[in-house]
Amino acid sequence: MEILYQTAVHLGDPYLFLAAAAGVAWGILGGAMPGISPSIAMALLLPFTYTMEPTGAIVLLASTYVGAEYGGSIPAILIRTPGTNAAAATVIDGYEMNKQGKAGLALGISLYSGVLGSLFGLMMLMLLSKPLASVALAFTPPAYFALGILGLSVIATLSGESLLKGFVAALLGLMIATIGTDPVTGSNRFTFGSSDLLTGIAPVLIMVGMFAMSELLVQASDRSEGIKVLSRPRMEFPGRKLAKRLAFPQAIGASIGTFEGVMPGAGGTIASFMSYNEARRWSRHKDEFGKGSPEGIAAPETANNAVAETALVPLLSFGIPGSNSTAILLGGFLIHGLVPGPMLFTRSADVVYGLYAGLFIAALSLLAIGMLMLPVCIWLVNRPRPYLSAFIFALILSGIYSIHASLFDLAIMLVAGTVGFFMRMLRIPFLPAVLGLVLGYLVESSFRRSLVVSGDDMSIFFTDKVSLALLVVAFLFVAGSVGKRILDAVRHRPSAKYSEGSE
Amino acid sequence: MLSRDFVSGLAAVLIGAVYLVFAYQLRTSALDDSVGPGGLPRTYGWLLLTLGLLIAAGALIKQIRSGTALDLKLEWKGQGRRIVWAGGLLAIGICYIAGVSTLGYPLAIALLLAAVALYQGARPGLHIAAIGIGGAAFLWAVFVLVLGVSMPMGLFAFL
Repeated sequence: MEILYQTAVHLGDPYLFLAAAAGVAWGILGGAMPGISPSIAMALLLPFTYTMEPTGAIVLLASTYVGAEYGGSIPAILIRTPGTNAAAATVIDGYEMNKQGKAGLALGISLYSGVLGSLFGLMMLMLLSKPLASVALAFTPPAYFALGILGLSVIATLSGESLLKGFVAALLGLMIATIGTDPVTGSNRFTFGSSDLLTGIAPVLIMVGMFAMSELLVQASDRSEGIKVLSRPRMEFPGRKLAKRLAFPQAIGASIGTFEGVMPGAGGTIASFMSYNEARRWSRHKDEFGKGSPEGIAAPETANNAVAETALVPLLSFGIPGSNSTAILLGGFLIHGLVPGPMLFTRSADVVYGLYAGLFIAALSLLAIGMLMLPVCIWLVNRPRPYLSAFIFALILSGIYSIHASLFDLAIMLVAGTVGFFMRMLRIPFLPAVLGLVLGYLVESSFRRSLVVSGDDMSIFFTDKVSLALLVVAFLFVAGSVGKRILDAVRHRPSAKYSEGSE
Repeated sequence: MLSRDFVSGLAAVLIGAVYLVFAYQLRTSALDDSVGPGGLPRTYGWLLLTLGLLIAAGALIKQIRSGTALDLKLEWKGQGRRIVWAGGLLAIGICYIAGVSTLGYPLAIALLLAAVALYQGARPGLHIAAIGIGGAAFLWAVFVLVLGVSMPMGLFAFL
């Protein structure tokens, strides 16, 4: 009840309203552009948030995530090209409906299901985050170390085809985190006499470089024109009868989306496809699936929007980002000196309640902004790629410079982009590198402080019950992933394809 | 022909080795804790080196077993061209960084917009100049006028 009251207090804040609406609009545009994932749309905004008030900045980023999940369905339905990975399941029936002249209805179902998914996801986020965080309040330094290890163990689920490559990426992130001042003694490490490196490398530079810049570098060789949207559909919402029929697949999508969102590493793509399959399994109109079933749009779109909210549960409660987008959001928190995790609810409760309020506004405004933005999205999708690339590059360079007014930052970002480009080429996932970077400080400082407290007795990590429990969960994460890969190999089933991390 | 996995393993070994060289040069002090500033970096370095060797060895064994030289050629097909194109875009970025202080943000960003658009395949013409100038004006308005960022002025110091 207190959560509801505190959230309601923030609802009247016009600044939050603006941030949520701007985030949703930007997210829809980003999501609608094939090649611009929700995380890239968020990464492009990250430098702008430096000058913003913390709550507004976090709301802006989180709302972008919400908007992008819907935006991805627009090209999925209109040109059979999912704007985001999570919209891939929407292509199946969405494009079929488009071919039958029902593009407006397909878009309406996508938008309306997205709003329902967002609202349900938000409800679950509000219900789950605080109780989980209060458990974490009793954490000691060994428990924090174990929490960092648990966060890093998420790599096991995010490493695509090779777990070893995932660990390599995580180690690269951990190594970057060691640059700058030592967290315990205060001495300089790997600074090579440069004053620019004394404070370390800001995660935002690596995030924007690896997510956005590397994507531009990958697209640099692409000379294809891209498919144009030739139709001009008008948004149409389902009538009462159809809405009733869609309620069950939406419930399936909301449940699966919640579960997958809370599980670090699962993400919207898995949730969408699982929801699609389950909706088909339980449908009375199974035959329509794949031929333009409205249920085939409702389930995945509800699921991926529910994920956009519930993916914040592990981030807010434990400080563990389980996806690319939540890693960028974590970057947003860190920029403002906020550390997600158990202490966030006591030290910066206002930001958390402001975020809930902002997400509520975002979910509702998605309906209106989604309708208004449709022609803009179609216009944008039809723009020639060279101009978009040029503008995005200029935006990245200007945004990064604006953080510290430093050309050195631009160079670091370009280096990170180049590293990200080669990591993609060598099929090394880069989300583990970002996880390593953001968790590096926590892991090292907690590890060393624990040893100082215990008098260099390593058994402290196993005698502390919370630490032990978290380490066991981390072990199970890795063991489960390894087990699945062995099983896949034995059954000659291809293991998960290379993924750049879930959205 | 080397597989991508083998190359990624070698790259990890190389990075790990270079990192270790510098990690072992970190000074220790009598006031340090038992792990010290170099403790974890050295662990990370050795781990990366070991993982790199494992990946490279695994890739080599796989390659010897299957002996699919043709597949490896296909695996790298078009990658050289991609690197060259990416290198060109990167060079434009480096030129921007090198020139922005002298030219000033408005001119440098306009040139960047035009250069990237042309590089990415836009047809040359007056519209490119319009996009460069219009885009630069828009970004100037957003960053300097709205956000109050102090961009390098260079030739435009009079503004």
